[in-house]
Amino acid sequence: MTGQEPDAVLSVENLTKDYPGVRAVDDVSFSIQSRTIHCLVGENGAGKSTLVKMLTGALKPTSGTMKVRGADYRPGNPHDAREGGIATLFQELHVVDELTVQENLTLGMEESRFGFLVKSDLDRRVVATLKAIEPSIDPATRVSRLSVAQKQIVEIARAASSGASVIIMDEPTAALSEREVERLFGVIRRLRESDVTVVYISHKLDEIFDLGDAVTVLRDGKHIATKPLSEVAGRAELIQMMIGRTVFQSYTPRDTVTDDTVLVARNLSNHLLQDVSFHINRGEIVGFYGLVGAGKTEIARAVFGADRFTGSVHFKGKDIGGSPERAIASGIALVPEERRTQGLFTSMTIRENIPVMNLRRLSNGGVYRSSAERAAAVEYVGKLSIATDTIEKHAEKLSGGNQQKVVLSKCLFADADLLLLDEPTRGVDVGAKTEIYAIIRDLADRGNAVAVFSSELEEVLGLCDRILLLFSGSLEEEIANGPEVDVAHILHVVTGGGEHAVQ
Amino acid sequence: MTVSTATEATARPGRRLSDEAFITSLVAAVAVGLFIVASVAVPNFFQPLSMLNLITNNWAVISLGVGVSFLLVSGNFDLSVGGIVALSGVLAVWFAQAPDGANALSTGFGFPTWLAIVCAMAGALAVGGLNALFVVALRVPSIIVTLGAMMVARGIAQVITQGSQRNTNLPDDFGVLGNLTMFGTSVKLPVVLMIVLVLVAVFIEKKTVFGRLTYWIGANPVAARLSGINNALHLTRLYLFSAAIAGAVGILLASEFKSGFSNRGTLMEFDALVISLLGGIAITGGFGSVIGMVFGALILAVVTSAATGMVLSPDWQFILKAIAVFLAIVTQTWALARRNR
Repeated sequence: MTGQEPDAVLSVENLTKDYPGVRAVDDVSFSIQSRTIHCLVGENGAGKSTLVKMLTGALKPTSGTMKVRGADYRPGNPHDAREGGIATLFQELHVVDELTVQENLTLGMEESRFGFLVKSDLDRRVVATLKAIEPSIDPATRVSRLSVAQKQIVEIARAASSGASVIIMDEPTAALSEREVERLFGVIRRLRESDVTVVYISHKLDEIFDLGDAVTVLRDGKHIATKPLSEVAGRAELIQMMIGRTVFQSYTPRDTVTDDTVLVARNLSNHLLQDVSFHINRGEIVGFYGLVGAGKTEIARAVFGADRFTGSVHFKGKDIGGSPERAIASGIALVPEERRTQGLFTSMTIRENIPVMNLRRLSNGGVYRSSAERAAAVEYVGKLSIATDTIEKHAEKLSGGNQQKVVLSKCLFADADLLLLDEPTRGVDVGAKTEIYAIIRDLADRGNAVAVFSSELEEVLGLCDRILLLFSGSLEEEIANGPEVDVAHILHVVTGGGEHAVQ
Repeated sequence: MTVSTATEATARPGRRLSDEAFITSLVAAVAVGLFIVASVAVPNFFQPLSMLNLITNNWAVISLGVGVSFLLVSGNFDLSVGGIVALSGVLAVWFAQAPDGANALSTGFGFPTWLAIVCAMAGALAVGGLNALFVVALRVPSIIVTLGAMMVARGIAQVITQGSQRNTNLPDDFGVLGNLTMFGTSVKLPVVLMIVLVLVAVFIEKKTVFGRLTYWIGANPVAARLSGINNALHLTRLYLFSAAIAGAVGILLASEFKSGFSNRGTLMEFDALVISLLGGIAITGGFGSVIGMVFGALILAVVTSAATGMVLSPDWQFILKAIAVFLAIVTQTWALARRNR
């Protein structure tokens, strides 16, 4: 699947990207045919986003070449990519709410003379493009009055009218309802008719079969296959290509799992969750696995009392009520999803970060015991091997892995019986990952209950005794981890294939 | 590595100044430096009495600065303190005035002085509670809420005094508190109270859980909440704390002058904010100290009184304050960035 095919609009050859210690994209070569919808699939960490970043000029490849219509293409920045005819639609929207649709479409392309805007045929052109792909949007409407889906379409129209021949879309349907997805698909198909090539990235396999002409599968940074979707025999084959035969789990059954239930959650529902019920036992590591937006974070935050929900959470037989303060007081601690904005006091030192969740342990009648605080900091820096020369180092100056260890220290210091770990190893290097896994196992071995909320299958399979599979806010299935666990089945369920299997 | 990290960490606590100590020393150095320059350059500036006056003339603003500093550290503004000073002073006078005055402005409730003071404090705390309600429960930005509360408080004071002042028909003991001199010197009670307040505030800030909570909330309110801190309760306490200080200042000033004046304390909220910022408290919250604020007040006092001692007319003091604030904040930002590069 290498080399130049007659009608390739975009091709990459031997493309490689190295990060310190990791090869994120490994010798990838494939080409994308003109006027097709080309899907890019792979698990988290397979190298999709690194590849896209290289195509859009946000990252420079370590080696290898990229070509657009046969000509060498070396974008130094996103602007170069636009010039080269490649536009990207990111998950976050880049439209200006206060301007009209038409003003948004011409933004940054206005023609001026002596600083004054002059009329050109630009306006006519962008309106024509918009009419062609979505006639129902009035160019004179303010963007703030549009829905998320419509805003996305405005962005697509902007990309198309800027003359892009390739538009990359990164999970464009993540925030859309089913009807809006249909509408977006209509737009994408009309784009193809008007000679635009779409590179479509999604975790939802149904969408890929619905929409795509061809698919490229990446796994562990390597190119697995590029072929027309008509030659792919259903979801099973695609999943097989995504996960391969690699046995990437190192799970060994743990003997400290008890039947002593500490947490019972019943019928948790909110804007995303639908009737989620589960329990967690003492000594057990329970994994919540699902794609981005499946409801993992929402469950963790509901149990912790950080968000409103309906339903009940009972911890050790008691209703713990709806605030993090009370959750911590009754023995639950949370490692939040975003460590820099939700977990850490980045402008403060390691010493000042660690004690915050258990102030009773460090104070006497409201008077703070600074010596005990220092001792605790030294103890946890040692215990979790946080790499720093002093406990007085500001948290913002630590690496991702060490920051995460500081957040973990906070929770460990709280002496909680149940730890909720939301993406505990996101953005953490491999070495620190292994250390964090060891800490988690050790906690469970000592009788604590641990819930791991993760979008990395490898993590869940390597660590958890029991795995709950989520898809779009509901709990689809519960499976026990073990050597015979069916990875293909798990992926089938979390990509939306299991809706009718349960319930 | 584990072991060596741990021992290293214990071996060198405090060998390097913390950022906070660094900024506080910087502010202190500037204050002392300015004082020396003023003593050399300005005739009659260096006299024991003028040094004492630097502090005693500013007891009200420094006291207000304590509450304002704590709130700034927590990431919130309190612009209502000047208005509360006017309100509580006017209320105290009104409640204490005898009920049988010749006209409306000399007629009050005839409460005994202690009761009048209690009622005036209640009025001050009510404004603080209003601040807390809007900031905490309704999540309105504190700069707007407290700006509104300032106008409400001063507005009520203006209505009660009919835009003027109440200074007649007061019991004799009403003027005691504000004019009591201490230890056989000319130092008045409010100055001593201010010093006690600063010492207590420093203790709270450095040594208590309450002080620590303020920093955590200011550094990252989201993480603070997820770490089990009750932000709402703490901010409510801080607003009440600040309002109580402002209420007490207002009552002491009313007692000192034996009058309730609706324009008293005008611009004090800005002076309190300015000395806090001069003292190195970060406007974004999470950083700063009360000691720094006190040195900030000294910087401002030296600059303004030195200017008056020179040929400059008092009309220049706003411009001088502005220059001092700009210079101080630019210097601090630059020094911190350089140090943490």
